Amino acid sequence: MGKPQRITIKEAANLIKDGDMLTFSGFTIWRRPMALVYELVRQQKKNLHLFEVNGGTHTEVLVGGGCVAIWESCWVGHELYGKLGEMVAGKQVRSEMIVEDYSHAQCVARLLAGAYGLPFLPTAHSMGTDILNPKYDMLGRAGKRDGSNPKIPMKKYDMMHDPFYDMGEILLMPAANPDWALIYAQAVGTEGTVRVHAQTYTDYEAIKAADKVIVLAEEIVPEDYLREEPALNLATGYSVDYIVELPWAAHPTGSQRFYDVDADFIRSFYAASKSQDSFNKWADEWIFGVADHQAYLEKLGITRLEKLRANSVLGYSTRVKRGSR
Amino acid sequence: MAASNEFAKPGEYKPMDMLAVAAAREVNDGDIVFAGTGLPMLAIMLAQKTTAPNAVCIYEAGSIDGRPIDLPTSVGDARCAHMASMAAGLTEAFFGQLHRGYVDLAFLGGAEIDKYGNVNTTVVGDYASPQKRFTGSGGNPDINALARRTVFIMVQEKRRFKEHVDYITSPGWRIKKWPSGEEAHKKDVYGKFFRGGVSAVITNMGVFRFDEEGIIYLDTVHPGFTPEQVKDNCSFDLNISRCKGETVPPTYAEIDLLYKVVDPEGIFLP
Repeated sequence: MGKPQRITIKEAANLIKDGDMLTFSGFTIWRRPMALVYELVRQQKKNLHLFEVNGGTHTEVLVGGGCVAIWESCWVGHELYGKLGEMVAGKQVRSEMIVEDYSHAQCVARLLAGAYGLPFLPTAHSMGTDILNPKYDMLGRAGKRDGSNPKIPMKKYDMMHDPFYDMGEILLMPAANPDWALIYAQAVGTEGTVRVHAQTYTDYEAIKAADKVIVLAEEIVPEDYLREEPALNLATGYSVDYIVELPWAAHPTGSQRFYDVDADFIRSFYAASKSQDSFNKWADEWIFGVADHQAYLEKLGITRLEKLRANSVLGYSTRVKRGSR
Repeated sequence: MAASNEFAKPGEYKPMDMLAVAAAREVNDGDIVFAGTGLPMLAIMLAQKTTAPNAVCIYEAGSIDGRPIDLPTSVGDARCAHMASMAAGLTEAFFGQLHRGYVDLAFLGGAEIDKYGNVNTTVVGDYASPQKRFTGSGGNPDINALARRTVFIMVQEKRRFKEHVDYITSPGWRIKKWPSGEEAHKKDVYGKFFRGGVSAVITNMGVFRFDEEGIIYLDTVHPGFTPEQVKDNCSFDLNISRCKGETVPPTYAEIDLLYKVVDPEGIFLP
């Protein structure tokens, strides 16, 4: 473990191999590493295994791009800007992808166990639901729980009686330790210390649970600046392997203190995601039709980006129209 | 006309306004409330501005007791964390707050519900080969399972009020012990982790509660509707014999707060 290496976005995507298991920073449509997700589609990765605490626009881009074979999570959609995850839904209905549902807190338990170096974590979350119905263990049904893939637990879950305080039956959730955490953070120090603003979501857990970590930084800042207030930092530099400095890397998802969610962009993506054909046209325009992140930003244009820019006091944009009034 | 505490008449407010107001009245002052996106947000914010100024709101993305001045559009929104006591993450929200037992009231939505209060937000049909997928569980079952009371806020439609839901995403009063599949009361499944469960379902037509057996019944009907109309919008045989009359309608002041203070941009109340 040493200092993280600074690389380009293309090099970052190159590191990820077909079949790797990935997790992400952020929450639904906030702080997702979108520029790297686009690059993974551009490089046409295959058979990726996503384990994510919740999905969002990035999930739909990867699934629509044909990159994903296994999706383990609990939710996918675009919040107010697209009520379903159409790509995941379509592939699940057509049995073209393995979908393994857990509850939100069960996903947290899995990543938290992975982050703390524990093989499993007990929890009472969401007992009695069909999530635990053995008929619906889709990785098991696909024969993937034979121990041959070290990233797939040999059981979806287990139950045990609390041996210490006689609290009754409790769930055991297996750890998740993805190959990669793809993180977007607002500030990264020159030695790799990571800071995010506002809610931390499960970014800390994702960084700690993954074997390797790539951070897309909105800005790289002097290390001393972050170390003046260490309590505000999320992770140490030595837990990060690679850094890419890339402004607007989370667009169209939001980044507190930098930019708001691009609602119109997500709405039009959602409309396109309703069929593979219209997705492909969208991808031709916004992924394959632009050479890189710079060209993507130029295509978006300064007027649009300025509208999204966060108010420097409030941390979100006051210039976007969000409702009907 | 100045906003007053007089009751508005049917036609002077929208069904969604009644829904938000009825939901807000479920909040006791001082409650620690864990809310989902949409109408649950309107309900908790309205309650905080009227009858429950000391109620606290937690959102699952990690904002604890935020005091938003602009309505969030989702629980991960930057706006949720404005003036929060903590901007933490999901581990704090789901384990530090919920699992530890701080949460009094869960405010959630759902796509389908059955007569035991089991909610489905996952699939239509058999999960192993579904006809349609919804968004998935999100935190709905976690929050509902470990809060002391849960209020579901839903749209009243026959296809959404079912004898049995296709998939139990969020646990009501009669669920299953897994992995055996033995049917049991929620108390028996949760053992010493049991704290309560679904206490009310509020729709655009009425307020529902649950009897001693954990079966849903109509408690009050919103002004402008009859109990029979509500029954006609359920695909099971709804018990309307315990209906104690009309839901107290919104006041002009409450409607004013909803449109001018809580959601002035028309995000969830167009």
